[in-house]
Amino acid sequence: MPVVDVDPDELRRLTGHRDKDDDDLRQDLFGLGIEYEGETEDGDFKLEFEADRLDRLSVEGIARSLRYHYGDDRGVDVPDTNSPEWTINVEDVPEDRPYVTGAVIRGVDLDEDALDSLIQLQEKLHATMGRKRAKGAIGIHDLAMLKGQVARSATERASGETASEAVDTEGDGAATRSITYTSVEPDGDTFVPLDDDAERTPADVLSEHPTGETYADLLADYDAYPAIYDAIGLFSFPPVINGRRTEVTTDSRELFVELTGTDQWTLDRMCAIICYALDARGATIEDVTVDYPDRELHRPDFAVRTKHVTHDRIETLLGVDFTTDDVVDLAERSGLDATPVDDGYDVEIPPYRVDVLHPVDVVDDLGRAYGFNDLEPRYPDVNTIGGRTESSRLERSVRGTLVGLGFEDLLNFNMTSEAENFDRMRLSPDEDDAVGAAEPATISEPYSEDFTILRTWALPSLAMVLENNTHHSYPQELAEVGFAAHADGDTETGVAERRTVAAVLARHDASYEDAKARLQALCDEFHVDLATPPTDHPSFIDGRAATVEIDGEPVGVIGELHPAVIVDHDVEVPVAGFEFELDALR
Amino acid sequence: MQLPAQQVAVLEAASADDPRRIEALAAETEYPPETVAGAAFELEDAGLVAVSEASTADVSLTDEGREYAADGLPEVRLYRAALDAGADESPVQMGQVIGASGLEGPQVDIALSNYARKGYGAIDSGELSADPDADPDSDPEADALATLADGGSVDDQAVLDQLASRDLVNVRERTVRSVTLTEAGVTELMAGVEAAEEVGELTPELLASGEWQDVEFADYNVEADAADHTPGKTHVLRQAAERVKDVLVGMGFQEMEGPHVDADFYINDCLFMPQDHPARNHWDRFALSNPEQIDSLPADLVERVERAHREGVSPDGDGYHSPWDEDFARALALRGHTTSLTARHLAGVADEDVEPPARYFSVEKAYRNDTLDATHLLEFFQIEGLVVADDLSVRDLMGTFREFYSQFGIHDLQFKPTYNPYTEPSFELFGRHPETGELIEIGNSGIFRPEMLEPLDVDADVMAWGLALERLLMLMTGFEDIRDVHGTLCDVEFLRDAEVVY
Repeated sequence: MPVVDVDPDELRRLTGHRDKDDDDLRQDLFGLGIEYEGETEDGDFKLEFEADRLDRLSVEGIARSLRYHYGDDRGVDVPDTNSPEWTINVEDVPEDRPYVTGAVIRGVDLDEDALDSLIQLQEKLHATMGRKRAKGAIGIHDLAMLKGQVARSATERASGETASEAVDTEGDGAATRSITYTSVEPDGDTFVPLDDDAERTPADVLSEHPTGETYADLLADYDAYPAIYDAIGLFSFPPVINGRRTEVTTDSRELFVELTGTDQWTLDRMCAIICYALDARGATIEDVTVDYPDRELHRPDFAVRTKHVTHDRIETLLGVDFTTDDVVDLAERSGLDATPVDDGYDVEIPPYRVDVLHPVDVVDDLGRAYGFNDLEPRYPDVNTIGGRTESSRLERSVRGTLVGLGFEDLLNFNMTSEAENFDRMRLSPDEDDAVGAAEPATISEPYSEDFTILRTWALPSLAMVLENNTHHSYPQELAEVGFAAHADGDTETGVAERRTVAAVLARHDASYEDAKARLQALCDEFHVDLATPPTDHPSFIDGRAATVEIDGEPVGVIGELHPAVIVDHDVEVPVAGFEFELDALR
Repeated sequence: MQLPAQQVAVLEAASADDPRRIEALAAETEYPPETVAGAAFELEDAGLVAVSEASTADVSLTDEGREYAADGLPEVRLYRAALDAGADESPVQMGQVIGASGLEGPQVDIALSNYARKGYGAIDSGELSADPDADPDSDPEADALATLADGGSVDDQAVLDQLASRDLVNVRERTVRSVTLTEAGVTELMAGVEAAEEVGELTPELLASGEWQDVEFADYNVEADAADHTPGKTHVLRQAAERVKDVLVGMGFQEMEGPHVDADFYINDCLFMPQDHPARNHWDRFALSNPEQIDSLPADLVERVERAHREGVSPDGDGYHSPWDEDFARALALRGHTTSLTARHLAGVADEDVEPPARYFSVEKAYRNDTLDATHLLEFFQIEGLVVADDLSVRDLMGTFREFYSQFGIHDLQFKPTYNPYTEPSFELFGRHPETGELIEIGNSGIFRPEMLEPLDVDADVMAWGLALERLLMLMTGFEDIRDVHGTLCDVEFLRDAEVVY
């Protein structure tokens, strides 16, 4: 879950509750589902919160939630925006990254804390909604350092005139100015990236700049890279890095926020969250025009969405009876606005709430505002019949019988390695008809070389347990009723899964006869017919191995383990054992 | 009266006025001394004899002691050589005397260290003088050695201690028990005692012949430890699973089963997990390379699930603004949770159709590529439970879980609202540790979202919860390292010793 560092003094200032001490704040935050995880070196709170509430990724967002919690604010709040002066032209953008949005912010007063908070918010949004910048990347620029291009009309664009030829030489005063989201050849125009002092091409940035190296993978399949130009030239290389020229500092008073990515909705929500955070610090938001070849958008998108929730659904889901006024009140305390209509409410959702997909999310908000822990648990009046599956009952009975025969019941991993499953048992996966020999289901990126396949049989696991317990007393009589599988194209998933019964007897005089005595007893208990015609199996001594045939079907193997297998497992006593399919006992 | 044969023999051999040692009685009765001692104690308990104890020391010569008994003590040999060299007149060079004495090796040091102590003379600046008045023929240590060598006994404790400190003798303390007849014993003897037959074990012959009626059975020490026996035993985690299954069946839940290797479609997509959710490409997932993809998925189900992801459900619903690709959903992996079984059941692709009301559970393995430590393994058992019914509320969810956890001694359940992509509302469950009283997380729960249920064609509410069986077992039994229990590194002894769960 995301963790955000928050200065408690900032929280006090932004909520207007300067009298709250740290303990009060921690408790209030817990009430919102935000957990205090400790302090940073600077005394900031490390706060962990739920991954859906991305509007709380900053101190400003948390302060807003607290103000609703305290009842200082009620209902939906949408900041006013001024009319657009700036345009983002969109032309010749990379096919895989076609979307852009943005906003102009004026009158910001960024001290160190505010700047840190803004940078943290940007990073957290990149990590979450932005899917590590793959889906959306944010660039924030000092507007004073941008030189606008003269925005062109559709006719001008149609004539093929490029933006850079139409420079607004005045620099200011023009009614509209623009920047252009477009693409650049990897070794095309140069710029000086952040934290650097050399002119570099985008390709150079990817190979030479630390940030470039980090995000190079995102652009691996691109022929031309995303780029943003102003009248002076290339100043931003999303989703990798901004230019140094437009770097935001504590002296910046006006900002240009741009977001580029693979999904317009996601970009607009990320943009809204940033604008709300800056609005909370007293800044003024100014619209920008996004000029796509086929359409024109006004951004930021502060549109309030509406969800219809029925009164009945609220009551059935929370198990509580409410009046209409109750619901309206709970909604306002959640930062929503509920208007009673027909059988329920039209509930307005502010633009920063990216987590509300369905009316049920509104009900969850109402429940939180009501206080889930105030609900009285009740046992549902629902009658059903319980029971176990047949294979689960069979497994339990076989396990119980094995224990009655003196075996210690084991539980081993279903994952193993080819070395353990085959090589150390002297078995090859393509051995004809040998129990355990089969094409294994393999894991694509194994955690370690010990876990690369699903086991095709269970005797190797028991041999490993013997190997790891040679320091304990004998006899060791071990059994497992468990899982085995192999690749099989005839099944639904391509993997044939089955339950298997395996047992070993390890002691100074263990023999085939001992193993068979136990196997016979087990088969007798389940009233099945056992036959053991001789067979060859590389894991067993020749002449002392047999096929386990139950009711005429070959279902397993029994024998004395081959000395080479025993010695390879560092065991110093003879071992006899068997393995067969659990279903044969049905 | 009738007594066991050995008691009769001891009683008859004992005397009323002459305490007789156990060894002497053993020699006379021809029973082993331990049998005689046992009989004597039985008789003492019956008041027929008195047993007295005295401690005595057995003294025997060591090899070195025997050597000195034959050759003389080194210091005495040194004194005789010193006299021969005239050291009683004036001091003589030490080397000369030692040479003449024939002493060698460690005996030289022994001789020198005892010489002055026993007043044979003095050693000063490498010269040796001899006291003319010393009498080597009446050295008490030499006398004692000679006596012991002849089989005699020495009473002088100071001399014995000295010899023991020189490792010339071994002294072993021993308790000597003596038996004397009491008045009651004498009376019984006068009245006549006879031996009853006593047997060690009951045999089929004794039973068949009826002889068992005329014999006494020797007493066992019924308090003694018996030999170790290693019983067969159900694995402790399997026992815990059985316990959980018992509880759930008792609460009306029906067990589910299904594939360990499954398509991401059932593991994630049916659960309304967006395809670009970080967890879906996360390193903690075990994807398969052979086989790589499921062959086919039900086309209509795929279409409904995809639409829910893209557009959401209900007129007001929003979808995820994320890519959705059927190929991605076909990828096979080891299930990261057994909620894939729930998805299959609700979707109707398991063997049976789900008709509300219904309760389902499974206690089955799930796989997570996690860091191995005392509480995390790559494979663990997930307890999964769900209730399908009309109009389920958060209160029903709370009531169900309160009932379930109370079966395991976990009370004071708390519900912390949380976020989960496929449930809303969602709660982390916290409970008090039965031993420590600490508040700990014991599960995750929620009510399935409409975006999950509508594509699966479920027209009812479904609430569900999950937790790791291992966590519950740790709470129930207090064991601390899961690695001792589960897997091929398990400690057989630990499993043998584990307390039974019931």
